[in-house]
Parts: sequence; structure tokens; C-alpha cells
Amino acid sequence: LQIFEYNGSAVVAMVGKNCFAIASDRRLGVQLQTIATDFQRISKIHDRVFIALSGLATDVQTLYQRLVFRHKLYQLREERDMKPETFASLVSAILYEKRFGPYLCQPVIAGLGEDDKPFICTMDSIGAKELAKDFVVSGTASESLYGACEAMYKPDMEAEELFETISQALLSSVDRDCLSGWGGHVYVVTPTEIKERILKGRMD
Amino acid sequence: MKLDTSGFETSMPTIGFGSSNDMLDGFSTVPSFDLPRTTDFDGFQKEAVQMVKPAKGTTTLAFIFKEGVMVAADSRASMGGYISSQSVKKIIEINPYMLGTMAGGAADCQFWHRNLGIKCRLHELANKRRISVSGASKLLANMLYSYRGMGLSVGTMIAGWDETGPGLYYVDNEGGRLKGDRFSVGSGSPYAYGVLDSGYKFDMSVEEASELARRSIYHATFRDGASGGVASVYHVGPNGWKKLSGDDVGELHYHYYPVPPSTAEQVMEEAAAE
Repeated sequence: LQIFEYNGSAVVAMVGKNCFAIASDRRLGVQLQTIATDFQRISKIHDRVFIALSGLATDVQTLYQRLVFRHKLYQLREERDMKPETFASLVSAILYEKRFGPYLCQPVIAGLGEDDKPFICTMDSIGAKELAKDFVVSGTASESLYGACEAMYKPDMEAEELFETISQALLSSVDRDCLSGWGGHVYVVTPTEIKERILKGRMD
Repeated sequence: MKLDTSGFETSMPTIGFGSSNDMLDGFSTVPSFDLPRTTDFDGFQKEAVQMVKPAKGTTTLAFIFKEGVMVAADSRASMGGYISSQSVKKIIEINPYMLGTMAGGAADCQFWHRNLGIKCRLHELANKRRISVSGASKLLANMLYSYRGMGLSVGTMIAGWDETGPGLYYVDNEGGRLKGDRFSVGSGSPYAYGVLDSGYKFDMSVEEASELARRSIYHATFRDGASGGVASVYHVGPNGWKKLSGDDVGELHYHYYPVPPSTAEQVMEEAAAE
């Protein structure tokens, strides 16, 4: 029993020109059986920071609730939203607190920082941050996703082209994974708007 | 920091002489759980778990009805979580009037079905008449029985039309052979059985039966992660088998459950309003 492959997931985030895109699959399964095809893996922390969690679904939901709580406290105390870099450090600290009994999930964080500069990072389940300038991936389909993103990514893409690229990378990768897929969920965030789209994918 | 050694205690007293009991004095007072009586703590359950693990990642089905036998299968091959192919031929043509389905190890199924085809042809030449489905399945079952325990993985159905009419047998790598009217084999079989059993009638036309078979495979590919690709449907009639359809299940989903265009626009409006 591979615990990270119990529910199945696929998450990817990409950087564009003053924008970012974050995408996930929609399947929730119990090993090979599919239970739901509308599972929410991507969550908004505030208008400029999104987090997507892959891994064990119960930890995905609990960790998300804890992070929203911590961010709301921060907003009350500081009277402003968290910067994405700060939020990533917060997530890393919360994960390392459980070093000897970890949350079994791998987050992908994406946000717009100062001067609308996009920021993405991913972490392992105990909080090791990995910053990247182009794309980050996570989940059971991560190896396929690395390959697809490496091939399709170009720097400084505009929002529409970025959406096309990330969608194609996600769909073609999950089509090679038994445990993820069944549709896609993409958020493309620019300084002025958030566009949420559901992808029509193979349902097998 | 004092190490917590409560895990090492057992409720079993040490076997042996009384003098060795003083070793336990520092440990025995705290209540503890029973340790399994084995030296391999990490692996002793593995064999039992492996036995019930669904090893055959696929969905195949076959059923007898008024007009003959309907055989259907998906086309996905998976290695653990990785999909190695979406276009595997799981319905094997043994000869023009007999089909075999593949579930389990691809190499095993392909080889033994071809071997069975050879034996059936030899029988025809020796006896000047075609072999019955019962005879063919018996040949395969006996061959697999002799390799029992050596790790072959074969879960196959032999479907055909002989002098006694339509015939359907299930044969597996344990050497088991069952005659029946409806079978489904593989990790997606529970889902296929649900649709097949509720829609089955003996008096169906070929079109109704093929639609039932296709829908059963489609539902299994939707729910089961290890099934997918293309749903192939074959019909075995008095003049032999004929392939009826091979539909991609990705497209079949939107054929059965079309997406109404308005919902997508609604989602975009809500997002833009944020």
C-alpha cells in the first residue's frame, strides 16, 4: 500500500508574463476505484495566492483548513494579505512541525508578489521548499507532468497561451496515469482577474 | 531523553529458567500489545495481502444470448499506476469461430491462446471436424493446471459456436474451468457486472446486446482506474465471429452524458465577477 498513491492526484503550476496558472485533476479515488470526479484540490488563500495540495485527500482538506485559519489570523493582525513568499514559508513551517508524523501531502503554491511578479514553489511532505522559475509539479502523475511541461513550456507567455499550455500538459500527463484525471480544473491569475475553467478530459 | 521501550513488551512470559526473568524487571509493568509470533514483523502479512490484491487490471466480459455470444473488453495495459498502453488487443482470435479474452499477464495470455489455436487446428486435422468449445477450453485448462503455482497469470474466457450452439467457458491460471452464461473478468468486473446483470435478457437482438456490452465496459472504465482506452465488442454467431465496434471510451462518455453548453459559461461568469 503506497500511501501517496491511495487517492491519486495531479497538480501543476506554471509562470507566465505577469501572470500564473495553477491546474489540478478532479479525481478522488480509493486505490483503483473512482469515488468522485469533482474533488477540489486547488484553493484560494486570497486573491493573489493559491495553493494546490496533492496526496492523501483527508490531509489535503485538513491542511487547507489549517492554512486558511492561519492566514485569517495574519490578516487580522497585520491588516493586509500575505505575500506568496511568506505564505510558502508558513506552509513549510507547519509541515515541519509534524516532522515525525507528517501530513501526507505535497503542496504547490502559486502567487503574484510585489510588482505583480509571479511566484511558484512546491514542497515535499515535510516542508522542503523548491522554488522554480518556470513550472512545478506534484502528485502521482508527476513524472509524466515533468516531461510534458519541459517539452511545452516557453517563458513569458500571456494568459491565454499559458492556459492552453498548462491544460495540454495536464491532460496529456494524466492520460498516462491510472490514478488521476477524470477532468481538469485550471485557474489563470493575472493582476486584474482570476479565470477559473473546467477542462473536458478523458473519463477513463 | 529516555527512550520509550513500551513497544518491546509482550504479555508472553519468557520461556526458560526462572533466573532469566530478572531481565524483564524494568519493562514488564506497563500494559502492552501482543506481538505476532514471527521473526519477520514487517513482511509476514504481505503474502496474505498479495493474495487478495486485484492483480488483473482490466475489464473483459462475455455473455450468451439468443443470437450467440457477445464478447467485449477494454484496451488498457497498466504497470502499477503507469498506463503503458491504451491500445492493447484483449480479444484474441483463436480461430474463425472461437475467441479468447485476455486478463492478467499479457505475454501469458497471448502465448497460451496461440498455443491453444495450434492445438485446435491439430485436432481438426486429426479428427476431420472442428473442436468443440468445451474441448478447447478443457485443453487450455489442463495445460494451465500443469503450470500451477509457477506464477502464470491468466484469467480468460473462451467463447465460440460449435455443433451444440453457443458456448462460453471461464478458464484461469489456477486450472479452474467453469461453464456459464455470463462472465466478467478483471479489476473492473464488479462495475461491469452491475450494468450487465441489470440489463441482461436472453431474448435480445444483436444490436441491443452489443449496446449492453459496450455500456458495461464503458461504466467499468469510468469507475476503475486500471481499465480504459477503447471498448471493443465482438459477436460470435453460427458463421463465426465478427467485430462489431471499437469505440474510444473518452468520447463514449460525452456521447452518453453530453455536457450542456450553458454550465461552462456560468462558471466563467462567476470567476470574472470576482
